[in-house]
Amino acid sequence: MVEGVVRSDRRSIARAISYMEDGHTEIKKEIMEKLYSHCGKAHVVGITGPPGIGKSTLIGNISVLLAKKGMNVSVLAVDASSPYSGGSLLGNRIRMQENLFNYGIYMRSLANRGARGGLSESCMGAVNVLDASGSEIILIETVGAGQADLDIMNLADTTILVLGPGLGDQIQAIKAGIMEIADLFVINKMDIDGSYFAMKDIEEVISMDDPRGYKRRVTGTSATDHAGYDELVGTILDHGRYLSGEGTIGRKRFLMGARWILESEIGRIIIDPAMDAIKKKGTDRNPYVLAEKIISQLNAEISKEL
Amino acid sequence: MSGGRYMADGKSQSLFREKPIKVLLAKPGIDGHDRGVLVLAKAFRDAGMEVLYVGLLPTPEDVVDTAINEDVDVIALSLLNGAHLTVFRKVMDIMKNKGIDDISVVGGGTIPDEDKPELEALGISGNYGPGTPLSTIIEHVRMRAEEARIKKLR
Ligand code: B12
Ligand SMILES: Nc1nc2c(ncn2[C@@H]2O[C@H](COP(=O)(O)OP(=O)(O)OP(=O)(O)O)[C@@H](O)[C@H]2O)c(=O)[nH]1
Ligand SMILES: [Mg+2]
Repeated sequence: MVEGVVRSDRRSIARAISYMEDGHTEIKKEIMEKLYSHCGKAHVVGITGPPGIGKSTLIGNISVLLAKKGMNVSVLAVDASSPYSGGSLLGNRIRMQENLFNYGIYMRSLANRGARGGLSESCMGAVNVLDASGSEIILIETVGAGQADLDIMNLADTTILVLGPGLGDQIQAIKAGIMEIADLFVINKMDIDGSYFAMKDIEEVISMDDPRGYKRRVTGTSATDHAGYDELVGTILDHGRYLSGEGTIGRKRFLMGARWILESEIGRIIIDPAMDAIKKKGTDRNPYVLAEKIISQLNAEISKEL
Repeated sequence: MSGGRYMADGKSQSLFREKPIKVLLAKPGIDGHDRGVLVLAKAFRDAGMEVLYVGLLPTPEDVVDTAINEDVDVIALSLLNGAHLTVFRKVMDIMKNKGIDDISVVGGGTIPDEDKPELEALGISGNYGPGTPLSTIIEHVRMRAEEARIKKLR
């Protein structure tokens, strides 16, 4: 299967992503370890924003422009699962599929299966599969974002926040959290009244950015008029070049991968043996102090050279 | 919910955790009757399945490509326009050409009884029409998904 992924065989890619969704941790680790040597080329672009703002439509349109530039593009889109049945209507695809069909772009829908944060647990694995298969740019649509759906910033090289007219008070809530994590902004539905004010609002926010860092930009787009997409693609590629210059493309995924292994193993490797050691002590000892002691011993171990 | 019942006894079983059934609903062909598929989409979701609806008018090629890329367990084809024999067969031909046998195909819509044996012979089962209880349809999709899952574990 790994060979198939590297050959860019669609069935192998699809099956490998299924393993990321459904496989046990052991299998996922094995696949990810094998794939990693083929990874590292892709620019991962996260697209987030409130429900119904036009994320899927936007991805359908920009993926084509990227494909026309000769880039190998693929798309992941996360939908929410029903908390009642566990099932999901994977509705993002239908908004973009026509463009994808015409250009043979690989797209995969993922249900979030109750994960909070706007992504599914399988997202990082799926990105690695696509990267290893030769994707140069991977567009990820998050579940319609509220304030707390910030996971995308830990995975994407470039995070785009899509906003639009008529969000009213919602924009205040969004500003509180998501504004900071976005690298680029889009005001979509520029064909609708009020979009101009939304644009001004964002321009004001980013005018306060630290002038020494990356200069964040806001682009207006409209699916109705098919406007703004060339400019948006320009800003995305520009941000990618900036990150490459800094040597930080793929950095977040690198850290996320390490964290994933650590978190999945921490119980078995660290907590279980530590608890075994603590169990041998009597209740005359202070449990808080014992645990602290184990932690400081581990800390000393971690600071040693890898 | 019975998402996990698909597992047959076998050594590869441990590769997967319990996972929801993934279904692709499609109306390949010129047929604007979409009430039935929309009812099914919601019913499948409420039965714990992950459901993709690709809308009206995807070509049989698009249906098969989507099923591959999304790695679904079941393709559910719906037509109420009388073109089921030709169009459903086209889908099966494309699958055969691509060597895909680990995705089950079920059909439904307005399908006269006399056409059912032919569809069955192509590997398209169910073929339920108006008035079929949703529970019958859901059970059938689960059964066919289970078959597909077992083939995927080969
Ligand atoms: C409502 C309706 C319409 C509506 C459709 C609205 C819409 N957006 O869906 C309108 C008025 C637009 C319409 C138009 C036409 N219709 Co009309 N329509 C019907 C009608 C009365 C009911 C269909 C319906 O919505 N049922 C309710 C839903 C929930 O049930 P369902 O679709 O049957 O789906 C259930 C089952 O069949 C099954 N099922 C369906 N698909 C699948 C798939 C799988 C995999 C499985 C397992 C199960 C399954 O499960 C579903 C849920 O229980 C039927 C007659 C009938 N009683 O079926 C005619 C009927 C389908 N229409 C017919 C015709 C001819 C037309 C027209 C060509 C013109 C005309 N004469 O009216 C146009 C064509 C439209 C087009 N562009 O394709 C004929 C088709 C004849 C044929 N098969 O050759 C029918 C059968 C009427 C008849 N007896 O002549 N129609
Ligand atoms: N007027 C106008 N409507 C748009 C524009 N872009 C998208 N829409 C419409 O907005 C609706 C939602 O579009 P989607 O692309 O599904 O939005 P989304 O953000 O992906 O939605 P969720 O995934 O459900 O959160 C659809 O009806 C689109 O046709 C636009 O630029 N202008
Ligand atoms: Mg969407």
